[in-house]
Amino acid sequence: MSEHEGHRWTMVIDLDKCTGCQACVVACHAENNVPVVGEDEVRMGRAMHWLRVERYWEGEYPNVRARFIPIMCQQCENAPCEPVCPVFATYHSQVENLNVQVYNRCIGTRYCANNCPYIARTFNWFDYEFPEPLNEQLNPDVTVRRRGIMEKCTFCIQRIHRAEEAADAEGRAIRDGEVQPACAQSCPTEAMVFGDLSDPKSRVSSLVHSRRSFRLLEELGTEPAVIYLKGGQVHVV
Amino acid sequence: MSFELSSEQLVWAEEEDPQEHLLLDPRPPEEMNRMILEAMSRTGPRFWIGVGILGVLILVGLVGAWGYQIVTGMGVAGIRRPVYWGVYIANFVFWIGISHSGTFVSAILRVFKAEFRRPITRASEMMTTFALIVAGMYPLIHLGRTWRFYWMVPYPNQRQLWPNFHSPLVWDMMAIFTYLIGSTLYLYLPLIPDMAMARDRTTGWRYRLYRLLALGWRGTEAEWHHLKTAITIFAFAIIPVMFSVHTIVSWDFGMTMKVGWHSSIFGPYFVTGAIFSGVSAVATVLLVVRKAMKLEYFLRAEHFDSIGKLILVFSFAWTYFFFADYLTEWYGGEAVGKELLTLQARGPVAPLWYIMLVTNILIPWLTLWNRKVRRSFWGLLLVTLGVNVGMYIERYIIVTGFLTRNRLPFDWGVYSPSLVEILISIGSLSTFIFLYAVASRLIPLVPIWEVREGQITHSLRRIGRALVPTVTELE
Amino acid sequence: MTAKVLMALFDRVDPVAEALEKLRQQGIDEHDIAVISGVPYPARVLGRPMVWERLPWIALSGAFVGFLIGLFLNAGTPLLYPIRVGGQPLIPLPPTAVITYEFTMMGLIVSTFLGVLWESTFPSFGPKHYHSEISNGRIGILFRCPEERIHELHELLRAQGAQEVIEPEEWTL
Repeated sequence: MSEHEGHRWTMVIDLDKCTGCQACVVACHAENNVPVVGEDEVRMGRAMHWLRVERYWEGEYPNVRARFIPIMCQQCENAPCEPVCPVFATYHSQVENLNVQVYNRCIGTRYCANNCPYIARTFNWFDYEFPEPLNEQLNPDVTVRRRGIMEKCTFCIQRIHRAEEAADAEGRAIRDGEVQPACAQSCPTEAMVFGDLSDPKSRVSSLVHSRRSFRLLEELGTEPAVIYLKGGQVHVV
Repeated sequence: MSFELSSEQLVWAEEEDPQEHLLLDPRPPEEMNRMILEAMSRTGPRFWIGVGILGVLILVGLVGAWGYQIVTGMGVAGIRRPVYWGVYIANFVFWIGISHSGTFVSAILRVFKAEFRRPITRASEMMTTFALIVAGMYPLIHLGRTWRFYWMVPYPNQRQLWPNFHSPLVWDMMAIFTYLIGSTLYLYLPLIPDMAMARDRTTGWRYRLYRLLALGWRGTEAEWHHLKTAITIFAFAIIPVMFSVHTIVSWDFGMTMKVGWHSSIFGPYFVTGAIFSGVSAVATVLLVVRKAMKLEYFLRAEHFDSIGKLILVFSFAWTYFFFADYLTEWYGGEAVGKELLTLQARGPVAPLWYIMLVTNILIPWLTLWNRKVRRSFWGLLLVTLGVNVGMYIERYIIVTGFLTRNRLPFDWGVYSPSLVEILISIGSLSTFIFLYAVASRLIPLVPIWEVREGQITHSLRRIGRALVPTVTELE
Repeated sequence: MTAKVLMALFDRVDPVAEALEKLRQQGIDEHDIAVISGVPYPARVLGRPMVWERLPWIALSGAFVGFLIGLFLNAGTPLLYPIRVGGQPLIPLPPTAVITYEFTMMGLIVSTFLGVLWESTFPSFGPKHYHSEISNGRIGILFRCPEERIHELHELLRAQGAQEVIEPEEWTL
């Protein structure tokens, strides 16, 4: 596994191409065994979406514009959620260079969630059910979490590991575009591009240099690994 | 118009009755011992009914509601995204604040040789220990997986993991544990001579209990010398621990990136607020205990007078820190910071915020300067209860109110406590009162030997036309 | 010539100091006398030799042990099992200061308590007797003397103002 150190997994999201369709949200639920909590709980603010599409309205009727921005865990280099966990349930993995969440270590203090400036973390408030036949589509690569545990977007680390294993088996390096998190895979407009920033020939490396690129809440110094490309005017008629 | 004083306007100094002061009004030691032992053993029907009600509240709140929460999940509480901490953490900070009562009275006043502390040290030190026990329940109550709490304890294990000492929660654990051990031992050490006194005068199970706790105390010079040295070391050692505990608790918030929380003033602000809240709680408890246990001989108007002055001083100090924090945020803070101020002044928590300002600033400033209010039962009781209501509101707004606003407006939220949280809060308050009530029947609430020591060192001296109390330094 | 134990009970502290002086003149050794009281009286008030104090040293060494434990937990455990968090160094100095401080204070407090218990067991001069009147505010001079001198010392102490001179019970813990 140590040949796979040094990757800098990055997600580039082009806000000009994002239509706010939320296919990525559904795909993430399916891939990562994220439970559906029900209407009442969502009204209370307990939705479990690892990835959410935030919508901001601009202007007055009838000249109203909507801006969408999909936000998930930004996989910060200087993650503020990591130092505050008393049991090291979230830490910076040196091999994958990602902010990882260890489910069976978490005791549920929820300190990490309070310290995340992107409010990217969700908590298992109950033991959620996967009623028949949803339990048949659970992803065997991902743990199903019990109550009392924090969770968040992992950049589909199970898919990264699968790609690494496949590459090892064939004795080659990982190709650009081989690792596709569920959200990037399902986006109909290819607004989400995932890749390795340490590879100068990858798509993300060229997209990052765009004049439109920015990072969310950059001034906080968290060094997020998600790069957004500023959108133009997005109209909702 | 003449400015000369006519004879009706001349005022003569009143002759103060020296017997009003406890330390100038000694009684025979047998009588004082008897008074305190009777106060301990008097358990009428009202006591048992009270204890029974408290027991029921504890069962419902802590066993029932908390058990339900453990089995069902944290979702039964009102917390949600983005308000991941709610009433439990507000309660936690509140009880840690109350725990500063005892240490302030028995350590700081002892170090400064304030004689009015003598009859009140034990009653307030008991408050500290029990408040810490209640506060220590909350880090367990608010855990998503309570049954794994022991992973925060540093011990060698096969998981190749130690706790994360970067985390303020681990600092919390260490600080509160140190403070709990410290204040329990500090409660126990000066208790030993009184345990010996009780051992000599009781029979049956009480005799056996006090004989065990007295550790064979006789009162030889060597024993007294070692005890006094130990108490002095403790008094000096526990003051920095007290400051550090609430500072570290405030750093649970101060170390985060949340707007409104990430403030360097939180350390001193919270410590001052804790002493403010704690000393007010001491006054409340002492007023109740004095009436309920008929300790009028020991706890006199002069003690409440001095405590009332202390409360006023700490109201000034708290207001200073509060205003400094408010002004900084108001003047040039982030947009979210201004939004937090609007939230407090006009948002859903606004009524609470104004109540806090009234009970913490307006009422103490208007009343506690007045000697009559400080020396009146209902006056001081209502003012101090109000202070603690206000201080609880302050913690509630800081913990839950500030969490509802953050830098991404799409993720703003609301919070309201659920029935489970309210029941658990009531259960923990009942635990405190229950522990205190039971302990008041087991250990003497007034340190007799310290009061007698004070009475020996106090005497009246005539200087000119006045009789003045004098204190000799016997150290 | 068997040794007997007597206890003289006084109501106030002034005659006690005088009585001690008289006892010393009568040849009773300092090590055979103990002064017991329900309220502390410093040694210079009673005119007794100063008690040697080791407690501050016990407290300091306990604080040092606590310091070492805190240092191990903060600096030792990350070196044993390194886990990187939040861009902070492996051994962060400010949190190390916090934890080490807490453990130092814990060491100081616990060792003071254990030290006072340990120190009180020895050395203790004088016989091991007690009387419950002590906690009623009396001050007792407890001393060992040969049997034949009991009556003489009895009279002496009564003349000094003792309320009672008795033969107390052996003290059992």
